[in-house]
Amino acid sequence: MRGKDGESLAPLIWTSTALVCGVLLHIDRLPLWTSATAALWVGWRFASELRSVRLPSSFAKVGVTLAMIVAVLVQFRTLNGLAAGTALLVVMGSLKLLETHSMRDRSIVIGASLFLLLAACLDRQSMLRAGLYLIHAWVCCTALAVTTRGRVAITNSGAAKLSARSLGLAVPLALVMFLFFPRVVGGFWTLPQTGAATTGLSETMSPGSISELGESGEPAFRVHFEGTPPPREQLYWRGPVLHDFDGYTWRQAPGQAYVKRPVTYIGQPYRYRVTLEPSGNRWWFALDTVVQSPDRRKVQLTFDNQLVARDPVNTTISYEAVSHTETREEGPIPVVARRVDTRLPEGRNSRSVELARSMRAAAESDERYVADVLNMFRTGGFEYTLTPPLLDLDSVDDFIFNTRKGFCGHYASAFVTMMRAGGVPARVVTGYHGGEWNRIRQYFLVRQSDAHAWAEVWLEGRGWARFDPTASAAPQRLTNALASLIPEAGSASERLLRDIPWLFDLRQRWDALNDWWNERVVKFNLETQLDLMRLLGFESPDWRVLGYALSAGLVLWMLIIGWQVARGARPAPVDRLAAAYQKLCAKLARAGIPREPHVGPQAYATTIRAERPDLATDAGVLLSTYTQLRFGNEISEADRAEAVRAFERAVRSFRPSRAK
Amino acid sequence: MKEFLRNRIAAWARRRQGLDVPPFSFHRRRIYILPTGLGMAFTVMLVVMLIAGINYGSSAAMFLTFLLGGFTLVCMHQCHRNLLRVFFVSASAPPMFAGKPGVLRVVFSSDTSFARYGIEVAALKSPNVGTDVPARGQSHVDVPLPPSKRGTLLIDRLYVSTSFPYNLFRAWTWVHFPIEVTVYPRPHGSLPMPSESGEKSGPRSMTIAGSDEWQGLRPFREGDSPRQVAWKAYARGAPLLVKEYTALGAELRVFDYSQLPQLDIESRLEQLTRWIVDAESRGERYALVLPGRTFEADSGPQHRHECLSALASHGLTKDADAR
Repeated sequence: MRGKDGESLAPLIWTSTALVCGVLLHIDRLPLWTSATAALWVGWRFASELRSVRLPSSFAKVGVTLAMIVAVLVQFRTLNGLAAGTALLVVMGSLKLLETHSMRDRSIVIGASLFLLLAACLDRQSMLRAGLYLIHAWVCCTALAVTTRGRVAITNSGAAKLSARSLGLAVPLALVMFLFFPRVVGGFWTLPQTGAATTGLSETMSPGSISELGESGEPAFRVHFEGTPPPREQLYWRGPVLHDFDGYTWRQAPGQAYVKRPVTYIGQPYRYRVTLEPSGNRWWFALDTVVQSPDRRKVQLTFDNQLVARDPVNTTISYEAVSHTETREEGPIPVVARRVDTRLPEGRNSRSVELARSMRAAAESDERYVADVLNMFRTGGFEYTLTPPLLDLDSVDDFIFNTRKGFCGHYASAFVTMMRAGGVPARVVTGYHGGEWNRIRQYFLVRQSDAHAWAEVWLEGRGWARFDPTASAAPQRLTNALASLIPEAGSASERLLRDIPWLFDLRQRWDALNDWWNERVVKFNLETQLDLMRLLGFESPDWRVLGYALSAGLVLWMLIIGWQVARGARPAPVDRLAAAYQKLCAKLARAGIPREPHVGPQAYATTIRAERPDLATDAGVLLSTYTQLRFGNEISEADRAEAVRAFERAVRSFRPSRAK
Repeated sequence: MKEFLRNRIAAWARRRQGLDVPPFSFHRRRIYILPTGLGMAFTVMLVVMLIAGINYGSSAAMFLTFLLGGFTLVCMHQCHRNLLRVFFVSASAPPMFAGKPGVLRVVFSSDTSFARYGIEVAALKSPNVGTDVPARGQSHVDVPLPPSKRGTLLIDRLYVSTSFPYNLFRAWTWVHFPIEVTVYPRPHGSLPMPSESGEKSGPRSMTIAGSDEWQGLRPFREGDSPRQVAWKAYARGAPLLVKEYTALGAELRVFDYSQLPQLDIESRLEQLTRWIVDAESRGERYALVLPGRTFEADSGPQHRHECLSALASHGLTKDADAR
């Protein structure tokens, strides 16, 4: 393709492609105006090349540049940080495209595109995206090859092949470096991360306001247990604990509401590793009651057993934890805790409060009362649904006395309200329940659709005890995935996945692959490296061993690459037919009949017949074969190679006897 | 500074390699390689990427850095290989006129199964001029030579290099193969051509009247007289053409150095050059008389070259070669 002045547009096209690909990697996170202006500049540049559209003057360009920087500043309040930096790169890189006239300019744009790739790598590193990143690296390298080729007669596809080869040869080195380059624990500095999307649980819960529960099959986290995992009905993954209720919405307690007291753990501890997908939230999920914070520097264990991180989870993280599913806490509840967790808004949900008071009065103990309320949910005509009717402001009253249809949030909210109204301390716990067992890599996959809410009730002599009112209303919810409980749940594609076994199996395999990716590749760190070295037979590996391995790998790669690249630089193969003929002549010369340089093969055959009739037949056949192969044209090009090889073999096995 | 360094290294390479006798191929021991400016910038970018990758603990960024690092090293090998075993077949330059740029033709060939791209040559601080050498083929490159003084232009070394692919590295070698280019004096001067001679055989008036037989047009060559250019054709958009005549009367001219006492030495040589070029292009026979040397009347390229070479080296000792 050529521009209006006849110059090849290929370098510009490839450079723009590299930049546009870089923008596309970020398109879902970039403010719309940055992508739009980038498209504008690219379009303008091509318009100027193909039609007689004028490029902006350099004065205008300076103005636009400053305006863009200010716009980014206004949007992000900073130029620092990944999101703002990315936006700035997009804007500046595409503006630079307006004035790329030399190889140097184009190289700068390609550099910007590579930095966009770097930003994408820092931002997200799922397996699918990793494939995109590789393609992008290839596009950038091809653009570099095209833009630096000058007057060299290499074609575009030649450049694409060349860069694919260069990158392909670089892969082994990248692998060696990746495996053995010693990883640093912790970073040098942190940049503010903004703009990450938020998925999953929120900090509040208003069951009445939701008429349709999201059915996202997105993974929330994956859990590998060490040893036997707990039974499925025990898999309560604790997230935000909600204490404050205004009659409609549940909220977290502001600050540290009360002090956590030591508890006695009952039963066996469960050790496991969680790989948490980025959510933009600050909760690290753990099984029920976690013993201690997995990493005190990063995450704090709160009084109500939540794990709250210092920073939002914006990248895949993994941590190990130990949990118990049953605890006992002796002694009376602290006064503050009782006050916080029995508080109800004045004058709201009055019918429920009334009912609760009378039920509590009828029950002889708190335990009895809890059982009565759960029994009410089981037998009172309640129905589990993912599409509940909206509730009025006294949401609990509306739910218990009118609609009686709801999902976990409705039951938890109503149950805790009833408990509190009866004077029993109770709190709402949100999180996830259950998970899909992946039998390929032996782990639980917890999806966003496994989100759940349950309750904890303080019982004298037992401490905080977990109750799941949803389980009373819909007991199958505990043992089965939500999907099997309500056939119409989920989208059409979800249902399809469920009903076709091999598709389900495929999905499990795919998720296992993703899990492997997260565990082995994304989370590759010093520890994994040292484990690998142990696997390779080093007793007590440290970074020095890594250094040796790295150097050895590097040297080996350099040797192989040097050999591989230089292989083509050896002289072209000699004419094999000529070589075989030389050999034949040499053999005959040793047998006493040297060929004079001016004698052709046919004349030579005549000479042999005259001087050594005993050799005449064999030598004659060989020489006439040679004549045919060399001068004849009745043999096709494809057969010729085979015939030459046959001739070589014949010459090799030809053993003329010496003259007597 | 850079120039000084380059000269020192070239001198060291010359001591190491000795003089080259074409045809020869570039052995790996004489190919040097360094990153280009772009290569340096690329390396700085890789360092930034590595630091960012370590800081964020991002496996993807680390892998990307290592991949591009490996890519750079592969590029180094490929650049080196692009020059390796290229055959330097010949380098020659036709005589040139003083004050006019000349041209040096360098011929490369390759006996390997892959094509070489962007093999560049520079001589005497000229810019790099490149060519591609096909697989098992041959190609040439014409390197411009800077305008020079009368005498001999000595090209003591050639800089053969390549930055293919990606321009991240430049591999180069020095070819120490002295080439002497004869630099004729500048054809200049407006004195009328002496036309009388002892044994003239044709009517003089006819030549002056320009009534020689019209022979045709031929492309302009360096040193042709502007008076013979077919300006009308040129104005119509044709390339520069020169009108050729054959002398009807086999005019014989004698160009005598001593007959131009009113001019200084250089001007005399320039005037003589002018006459020789003009006479030759008209196909006339001419003789040249220099102090101590005489060229018998003759015509043809060989004669022209001998005469002009004599003018080029006139009064110059071998040591005072123009550099």
